[in-house]
Amino acid sequence: MTDNNNRDDWEEAFWYSGKTTRRRLVGWSAKAAGALGAMMLVPAPWRAAFGAAKPFKIGSLQPLSGNAAAGGKTALVGVQMAVDRINKMGGINGRPVEIVTGDDESKPDVARRKIEKLLVEDEVDAHVGGFLSNICLACMPVFEENKVVNMISVCLDTTLTTTKCNRYSFRPYDYAPAQAVAFAPYLVNKLGKRWHLIYADYSWGQSTRDAYAQEIKKAGGEIVGGTGIPLGTADMTPFLSKISGDFDGLFAIEFGKDGVTIGNQAYDLGLTKKYKWAGDGALAESTNLPGLGNKIEGFVGINRYIPVFDPPLNTAAHHKFFDDAVARLKQIDPSGPLPDRYVQSNYEAMNALKIGMEKSNFQGRDDTMKLIEALEGLEMKEGDDFPQGDKVLRKEDHQAFIREFIFDIKDGKHRILETVPKEKTIFPPACKFASS
Amino acid sequence: MLEEFLIQTINGIVVGMILALVASGLTLIFGIMDVVNFAHGELFMLGAYVGVVTLAGTGSFWLALLVATLVVAALGAAIHVTTLRPLLGRDPLNTILVTFGISLVLQNYALWQFGPVARKINEPFTGHFNLFYLEYPWYRLVIALLSAAIIAGLWLFLKYSTYGVWIRATTQDRLMAQAMGIPVPRLLTIVFAIGSGMAAASGVLFGPLVGVNHAMGLDWVLKAFIVVVVGGMGNLVGSIAASIFISLTESYASLWVSPSQAIIVSFVVLILTLLIRPTGLFVPTPK
Repeated sequence: MTDNNNRDDWEEAFWYSGKTTRRRLVGWSAKAAGALGAMMLVPAPWRAAFGAAKPFKIGSLQPLSGNAAAGGKTALVGVQMAVDRINKMGGINGRPVEIVTGDDESKPDVARRKIEKLLVEDEVDAHVGGFLSNICLACMPVFEENKVVNMISVCLDTTLTTTKCNRYSFRPYDYAPAQAVAFAPYLVNKLGKRWHLIYADYSWGQSTRDAYAQEIKKAGGEIVGGTGIPLGTADMTPFLSKISGDFDGLFAIEFGKDGVTIGNQAYDLGLTKKYKWAGDGALAESTNLPGLGNKIEGFVGINRYIPVFDPPLNTAAHHKFFDDAVARLKQIDPSGPLPDRYVQSNYEAMNALKIGMEKSNFQGRDDTMKLIEALEGLEMKEGDDFPQGDKVLRKEDHQAFIREFIFDIKDGKHRILETVPKEKTIFPPACKFASS
Repeated sequence: MLEEFLIQTINGIVVGMILALVASGLTLIFGIMDVVNFAHGELFMLGAYVGVVTLAGTGSFWLALLVATLVVAALGAAIHVTTLRPLLGRDPLNTILVTFGISLVLQNYALWQFGPVARKINEPFTGHFNLFYLEYPWYRLVIALLSAAIIAGLWLFLKYSTYGVWIRATTQDRLMAQAMGIPVPRLLTIVFAIGSGMAAASGVLFGPLVGVNHAMGLDWVLKAFIVVVVGGMGNLVGSIAASIFISLTESYASLWVSPSQAIIVSFVVLILTLLIRPTGLFVPTPK
C-alpha cells in the first residue's frame, strides 16, 4: 500500500508538478537516444577497455566473394588477428581500432567504388588491404586523391612500388624483383639453365614473369618460352599441351584456385615429371595443398612465409602467431588450414601501420604526412609484431625487403631448403614520387 | 604439326563432352520450362562438394558420383517447388532474377559451409598413355565417355519412358499437354531435378582436374550458355553438337594463336549465330 502511494506520488510529481514540461521530456528523450546511439557505435569490449575514446577506423578492402574469395578470407583473418591483439594491448595512442571491411568481389570496378566509399563516406583513417594486383593498381590513385595512407597487404605487381608508386601507398613485404633476385641463382645453379615460364596473364603474373626472366638471364640461365593463362581458366590443358621441347624446368607463376588447377593438370599431362617443377610460392600455399594432394610433391618454390617450425622460424613469436591463426582459420574453414602468406602479410601490415601511428602520434587524417614520414625507412624487428622476421621499409619507393624461404613439398608439407637473408634480396629502387 | 593437331582434337572432344553434359541440363531446363537457370553453375559446384563429402566418407568415387547426382537432383526439385513453381506463367525476367539470387545464395553457402580452401576429389584411376610428347591421362577420356553415356541415358529416357514422352509433349505444347492430363507442374519439377543432377554429375567428374572450390561453377556456366544459344535454345542434340563444335574450333584455333586468343572464337561464333541464325546453328530449318 505504502509502495503504491509512493508510486502515485512520483507519477503525480512527474506529470503534474510542473517540473516535467514537454520541452524537458523531448530533451531527455534526445539525450537518451544519443547515449544509446553512442553505445551502439562503440562495441562492448572497447567500452570496457577504453571508456569513451573514439576508435581509429582502419579500412580493409578484400575480395570476400568472387574468384579470389579464398585468399581474401584468409587475408582478413590476418588483419583481424592484428587488430584484436592491438586492442587487447591498449590500442594505438590510447584509442581502440575498428576495422571497416569492404568486399571488392574480385573486380576492379567494384573495388574502385568500394574504396571511394571507405575513404569518403566511412572516413577511414588509414587502409590495410588489397589482394589482386589489378585492384591495387585501380585503387592506388584514390588514396593519393584523398590523402590517406594505404598499407598494401598482398598485391605483388612490381609497378605498385616502381613506375606507379605514390607517397601514400606502402608495401611492407616482398615483391617479384626481390624474390627473383633471391631465387634465380638457386634455379639456375641447382635445377637447370633453360626455363619455360607459365604465368597468370594479368598484371601480377606479367610483371613477375619479367622479373624472373631478367634475373634468370643475369644468373646465367635462359628463357626458352612463356605461356600466359588468363585468370580463372578452368581447363588449362589447351595451354599446357602446347608446351614441349628441350629445356630443363617449368616455372609457374599462379595463385589461388588457378594454382590448384595448374598443379593438377600439369601433373596429369606428365609435365611435372618430364621437367623440373618450380615457381612462385603462391602456387603451393598451405591453403592450396589440400586441393593439390600428392600431385604437388617435389615442387620447389619461394615464399616469404611458410607454416613450418624449422629454423629460423622456430621462434616463440612464430608459435604464437601460428596457434592464433590456426584457431581462427578453423572458424572459417572446417578443414583447419594452416596459415598462408596472406594471413602473415596482412597481420604484419597492420602491425607496421600501428608502429607508424605510434611513432607519429597519429590522431587522424590531418596527421597523414607525419604518418608517412614515420613509415618511410621504418625498421621492423622480428618478434610478436613481425613473426616472419626483420624487415625494412625503404624510403625511396615504400618497398620492404624481407628474408625469403626457398622450399619444396615433401610428403604433403613444406620443407625449407634455403633461407635467403633480406640483404640478398635487394633490388634497386625505380620510383619517382610525384611530389618529390 | 600433325601431333599438335591430334592432341588438340582429343582435347577438344574431351572438353566438348564435359561442356555438353553441363549444357544439356541447362538446355533441358530452358527447353521445357522457359527458365534461364543462372544457378546451374552453382549446382555443378554443389555436386562437386557433395562428391568430396561422400568420397571422404566412403572412399568410393562411383558412389560419390551417384550420391552427388541424387542429392543435388533432390535439391533442384526443392528449389523448383519453393521458388520457381510459384512463378509459373509470369514474366521470364522473374525467373532470371530468382535463379540469379539462388546462385549467389548457393555460392556463399558453399563458402560458409566448406570454407575457402580448395578440396580434392581423387580420380578413380591414375593411368596415363603416351600421346606423342605428352603423357595423357586415361581419366580424361573416361570423363568424355561417361559424359556421353549420361547424355545417351537422358536421350533414351526422353525417347522411351512415359515421363520422357510427357516431357517431349510438354516441350511441344505445354497447354495441350496439360489438357491431355499430363501433370505439368510435377513434370517441370522432375525436369529441373534432372537438369540439376546432370550439373552435379559433371561437377564430380570434372572435380579431379581442378580442385573443388566455391567459384568453380562460374568458369563453366558462361560457356554453357554460349553453347545453348549456338545449339538452339532447348535443343538437346543441338547443344551437344554445339559443345563439340565450339571446343574443337577453339582447340584448332589454338594451333595458330595463343589459347587465350582462341577463346574469342566462341564469342565470334555466338555473335554470328545471333546475327545470321538466331534460332541456333544446329536447329533443322523448318520446312
